[in-house]
Formats: sequence, structure tokens, C-alpha cells
Amino acid sequence: MKKSVVCSLFTAAALFAGSDEVERLKTQMHQQQQMIEKLLHRVDELENRNKKTQEQELNIRIETSGSRSASFAQQAFLPDIALIANMAAVGRNVGNEVYENYKIPGFIGNPGEIPFNPKRGFNLNYGELEISSTVDPYFDVAAALHIEKEGLHIGELFVTTRALPYNLRLKAGKFKSEFGRINPKHQHAWNFSSIPLVFESFFGPGGLGDEGVQIQWNLPTENYWMAGFEAMQGGNGRSFGNTDTNNLFIGYLKSSYDITDTNTLLAGVTYMHGKNPAGNTDIVGADLTLKSFFGSYSALTWQNELLWRDKDGTGKQAGLYSELIYDYNQNWAGGIRYDTLFKNIGNEPDDLERYMVMMQYKPFEFSKLRLQYTYDRSKWIDGERKDIHEILLGLTIEAGAHGAHAF
Amino acid sequence: MSLSFAKVDVITTYPYLAETVKAVGGDLVRVKALASPKMDPHFIVPKPSLIPQMSRADMLVINGAGLEIGWLPPLLKRAHNPKILPGSIGFVDASQVIDLLDKPVAVSRAYGDVHPEGNPHYALDPHNIVRIAKLVAYKLEAIDPAHRAAYEANLGKFLARWNAFLKSFDEKMGRCKGMKVVQYHELFNYFLKRYGIVSLASIEPLPGIAPSSKHTIELIGLMKKEGVKTILQDVYHEKKTARFIASKIGAQVIVLPHDVGAVEGADTLQSFYEAIAKRLCH
Repeated sequence: MKKSVVCSLFTAAALFAGSDEVERLKTQMHQQQQMIEKLLHRVDELENRNKKTQEQELNIRIETSGSRSASFAQQAFLPDIALIANMAAVGRNVGNEVYENYKIPGFIGNPGEIPFNPKRGFNLNYGELEISSTVDPYFDVAAALHIEKEGLHIGELFVTTRALPYNLRLKAGKFKSEFGRINPKHQHAWNFSSIPLVFESFFGPGGLGDEGVQIQWNLPTENYWMAGFEAMQGGNGRSFGNTDTNNLFIGYLKSSYDITDTNTLLAGVTYMHGKNPAGNTDIVGADLTLKSFFGSYSALTWQNELLWRDKDGTGKQAGLYSELIYDYNQNWAGGIRYDTLFKNIGNEPDDLERYMVMMQYKPFEFSKLRLQYTYDRSKWIDGERKDIHEILLGLTIEAGAHGAHAF
Repeated sequence: MSLSFAKVDVITTYPYLAETVKAVGGDLVRVKALASPKMDPHFIVPKPSLIPQMSRADMLVINGAGLEIGWLPPLLKRAHNPKILPGSIGFVDASQVIDLLDKPVAVSRAYGDVHPEGNPHYALDPHNIVRIAKLVAYKLEAIDPAHRAAYEANLGKFLARWNAFLKSFDEKMGRCKGMKVVQYHELFNYFLKRYGIVSLASIEPLPGIAPSSKHTIELIGLMKKEGVKTILQDVYHEKKTARFIASKIGAQVIVLPHDVGAVEGADTLQSFYEAIAKRLCH
């Protein structure tokens, strides 16, 4: 390159210039040649220096290789982990020992162990470890482990597929049934501290979760239609409990329709069939949610669910709840819930009701303080109805991996 | 999908990405953005109606850098569509081709809603559109190789137009170099840095934390001292605090779009950046 430039300059000079010009060009060329030589020298120097540094670097790497290997380090593959804690201070007009033995006539003979806020005073309800990860290109795994005084309890542990065609997804393991609105959610994601009476009566205070498999299919439609089918063991003693083989089958259909860009309707129907020690259990459910958004942080949500059960050995019963939640901004929210068991067996009461009101303050996305008042007319204590008044101040924190917001 | 009559179904998280895909894909793609530009991009409501679109999609283009982490993962799980999951050719994370600013040295939620990868609001720099357009073309060509030549031609045409726009836009913005501003959230950093505008502070005490009176009073002192007369406000946060500060020191509150369609008259890529320039640097 340099040579050809020099050559062409020389040729040009020889062809087109007079002798004075030639002399001038010759001197110029001489100067340029000197400059080029200097530059070449510097390039050599730099190259040598670079080589030297490379050699030095290699030497350093050779000498320190023994203490730098991270070939077996796997931190980058750690699953996403979140630590959730839930605690509350409770005031109640009924003593702890009496409260532990409440009845809901026709529905609950004995509440068993009360997992959330059993005591007047301070309750550390639970710690929960939520761990999730992509296993490989074909599977995801997720677990919700409850840390309790007696040890670690598997709330959920399931595997889902990633690669099935036709918008299908399979799930297997132990999981919360995804029928309806409130059942799939964990306690810390509910709008009130307890599950509605009808869910508590039919499935217990944690809702319906069991070992089994699930398949969900998104229909190829313009609007949202999702069909789900679950086969479960049926270990839930409140409604089923015959686990001789996998005895519980649940089917549901969910759909959503945007009335406007900021008004959304979500509806679902559920049917489940299982076995209890005295025969069959059939449960039919329906849910309807209407959500209006007023901006990024403000919304009004009206959520309703109804469950009807026909259980051999007990009879036909039903209940529903309706809750209205107003998210004022990122920090403040408030809500009310009406809750009833309106159909009961035989001569048992069918005016079992509960009213709840709450106000919630979130200093930030990952912490939540909630003040809640409950007026409960569903509990019998010592053979007669006892109106229960309860005030609760709860704290929930979610630290670690970011739990995204479900609809 | 290699069938010549079928359009490539593309979903993007935000409107500016959809506009870029439209420019490169032309008639060969059908594109839709999931998020409304009127909403906070960190907190898009994961409406079930978004799921069918994601179930059908051949390609998903995300902003990345953590901007979608609060709303997209559950939708992606519910879409049951292996074609757009990370690891598939149809998953496109635009942040991978961007030099991100403000990468934090240490990450803790004690510092608010920090993004470990850096500031995710890079859409505010019009120069980044060039990189995204090239990425989109590369991905569309991989998904729909039968139309490689058409995508190349579209990209060429778009880049010629865009580079010409950038040249005149950069020149215009030269006027505002050195201007001092305060912003609600660190939303406009890429734009400000590109055009030499100095952002002195945020109305939020920490990213994602609502304004406090203590911080607001400190901010008023700082703005007085530095002679800052401009407060940049997004369309989706409360504007009371900004107006209060402005009234105390005789500053003006300027509402800037953060995405295509966020304000009236900003419904194309070009008019989006022009709207910022017009409001900020008139």
C-alpha cells in the first residue's frame, strides 16, 4: 500500500512536471519516506509492546490458573426464589380456646387446625418459599413450600410443559386447582385474610389443592376461551376423601371479553365429580368478574363466585361471595366482601353470613399492610350462634424474585 | 408459515416496537402491541384478552431490560405458545442490541425499583430505532426466509428515511444543549443524554417510590439553586407534585410522551420524537 503510493507519486511527478518541480517533489518524497520509516518503526514498537503484554498476561493467567477456575460454578443456573412472610395482630371478641372449636352447622363440624390468624394477639402465619425455574427446553418447574413450626410442607410442587403444540399445556404434581378466581391464588394474594365461607366449607381454609395432572387449552378464537381439565387424587376430606384411586375430576371453561379498552369481563363455569366415603360428590361453580381501569394504578374490581354441592351422606348445599375492591393508587386500596352460605341441609340454618371491610397500604410493590374488620354471623360456639367481631392488622412481604401480577 | 399467502403474526409489548416492525415487515406481517401507550410501561394490566393474540403469534418482540417483568411472564405462561418463548427463534429481546445507560453498580430493592441490566427506557433515543429495525429484519428473515429480499428492501428504505430524519432532528435538537431539567422518573435519560440536556434530579425519591414531602422540599431547594425551570412529566403518573413544585418556583411542567401514541399527534415513530422536541425545545 505504502509502496504503491510512493510509486504512483513518482510516476506522476516524472510524467507531468518540469525539472524544478521534479526537484521539489523529490525533496518532498524524501521527507515523506522518512516519515513513513518513522511510522513503521513505531508500529513495530507497538506490536512488540502488545506482544509483550500478551505474553505477560498469558504468564499471569498461567500462574494464577489454579485459583481462578469457575468451571464447576453453577450460580447462574439458580432458580428464581422469593421469600414470602405473612403475620398479623388480631383482636376478637371470642377467646382462643372457644374459637378453635367453632362450628358452621351443616357445613363444618370441627375446623381442625386453623392455619391463618387462629389467636387473639400476634400470629406469625407462615413463611413461604416460592421457587421456580425453567428445567430445560421442554419443562418448567415451580414450588411453593410452606415453612411451618413442624417443618417444610409442600403447598405446591408441579411441572408444566413448554413445548406442546396447539396451544396446549400439561401440568403434573401437587397444585391448587385452577377453577374459578380465588382458588388458584395463594393466601397472600387474596384481597382479604381468609377464603370465602363456601370455599372453606367445601375445601378447607387453603382451598382445593391436590396431587394430579392438568391439561389446559387456549381455543383458537378471537376472544379468550380456555378449557381446563384436571384429574386429581381426591384427598380433600371436606368434599371428597376417597383416595382408593384417583377419584376426582374437574373441568372448567373460562372466557373474557373487553367491553371497552378499560372495562373487562371475565367469566367461568366449573364442574367437578369425586368420591367421598359415603358415595359421590358433585360440585358446580360459576364466577363473574368485572374490572374497570381508571389509569395505570387505579381500578375497580367486582368479583363473584358461586359454588353448589351435592354430597352423598350430607345433601345439597350452596354459598357465594361478592367482593368489591377499589385500587385508589399504587399505595392505597380498599374493599368490602359479602359472604354467605345460603342453602343448607334439613333443618340447619341457611342465613349464615359474613361481612368484611379492609383498607390496604402498600409502601412499595413488595410489602403490604392491611387493616381488616370482620363481622361473622356464620359460627356456632357451645351450641348457639355467636356473632364474632374481629379486627386484624396484617403484614405481608414478598422479597426476592419478582412475582408478576396476575389479572 | 413458509406458505406465501400467510402473514407473519407479530406481537410486540409496546407500540414503538410495533411501529418498527411495521416499517420492516410491511404487508408481510400482521403486528399488534400488547400495551396501551397511555399506561405506565412497568404496570400493564395483563388482561386475558391479550392471551389469544399471544397464542397465535409467530414472533414476540419485547423491550427487555426488565421493563416487562411485572406483567408479561404470566401472560407468556398462559399463552401456551412455544414459538415465542425464550430460546425460540420467535422470541426477540430488543435490549440485547442496545447499549444500556445507568447500569447500577449494586442492586438492592433498598434503592427502589432498580433494573439490574440498566435503564430500560432506551426507546427515548431515536438513534436506537436503527438497531432495533436491523434486529427485527434479521429475525423476520429467519422466520420467513421466503421473503428475505422484501424485508431487506423494506429495511433499506426505512433506514434511508430514518437516517435522513435523524440528521435534521439532531440538528434541531442542538439548540437545547445544556438545558437543565428535573423529571418525575428517570424515563427520559436516553433522550436527554443524546442531546446534551442535563437532568439534575427526579421527583420520585427512589425509582418506583411515590414522592415524599421531604424529598419534594429538597428538590425545590435544588431547583432554585441551579435555576431549573423545566419539569418533565410522563402521561401516566399523578401531576400534582410537579405542578406544586412548578408553582413554588415559577417553573413549567412539560408532559412528554414516552411511547408512540402516548399523546395526541404522536402516532408514528417520527411524530413521537418530534412531539418530544416540540414540547421540550421550542
